[in-house]
Amino acid sequence: MTTTGGDELTHRTTGTAAETDPEDWVLALSIEGPEQDVALRRLHGLLIRASRHQVLRMRAQLGGADAARVEELANQSADEAMVALLAKLHTFEGRSRFTTWAYKFAILQAATEVRRQAWRSREVTLDDGEVTVDRGPSVEQYAEAADLGRAVSRAIHQALTPHQRRIMLALVVDQVPIDVLAQRLGTSRNALYKTLHDARVRTRAHLAAAGHLRAVTVSEGVDR
Amino acid sequence: MNQRRVSREALRAMTLDTQPWLSCDECFDRMDTYVERLLTEPDHTDVAMTTHLNACTACAEETDSLLALIRSDH
Repeated sequence: MTTTGGDELTHRTTGTAAETDPEDWVLALSIEGPEQDVALRRLHGLLIRASRHQVLRMRAQLGGADAARVEELANQSADEAMVALLAKLHTFEGRSRFTTWAYKFAILQAATEVRRQAWRSREVTLDDGEVTVDRGPSVEQYAEAADLGRAVSRAIHQALTPHQRRIMLALVVDQVPIDVLAQRLGTSRNALYKTLHDARVRTRAHLAAAGHLRAVTVSEGVDR
Repeated sequence: MNQRRVSREALRAMTLDTQPWLSCDECFDRMDTYVERLLTEPDHTDVAMTTHLNACTACAEETDSLLALIRSDH
């Protein structure tokens, strides 16, 4: 394996014996012809490698999926990543190696697919119920956490909109994966993370005004 | 109305300081360069990225995964 200057493209000799990765991926992928065909095959190989890596990392979430199922998900994710990458090919600026840039498309697609598969038969309910704190290892810690828990519960019920509260509770307390929630609500990961961010900002402001933000900061320090 | 029992970790996650703001899309845009910088400069810091990754478990998993994959290539 060698690297060139410029775009720092990696030459690989694995895969089809006579084929190597192109010097300039963007150029090779952009112009129709035999070089584009080779580049597309090589790129698809990279995407399968990355999506297989991701599916295997998250395999436990799939309830012991066998090797065939892993390969099926990896191939499906690689195909979808290929479409997403080619649509954004013009945005590649060479700030990283092309292979690193390509891998992230497959990793995102595969991780999203595994989360959706893992939750496909699970119901997601959105409600904004009261929050109470689990008992800690000691009475003192429980009392401290319960006090903070009551303050947070007040904050999220007084400072957040019903939508912000439901999203925060689903993502943080019920631990619904953000991609799954986005799919069920017909929105995007980006939009849900913004809602969660705004909810956190409002919650912290409410806690600060009530004199509880120090307790949150101390709690962060303890938990880390 | 349901009553939810939450862990201390969930309380911490509900009250995280997520400033400076970085969206998941921006995190995805930076992920490749961030990971390569980490590999060549282990002390590299990007406050917006680390804040986002501490607050978004999905982006954190994907960034860790990319880092592991690139390491395995070297």
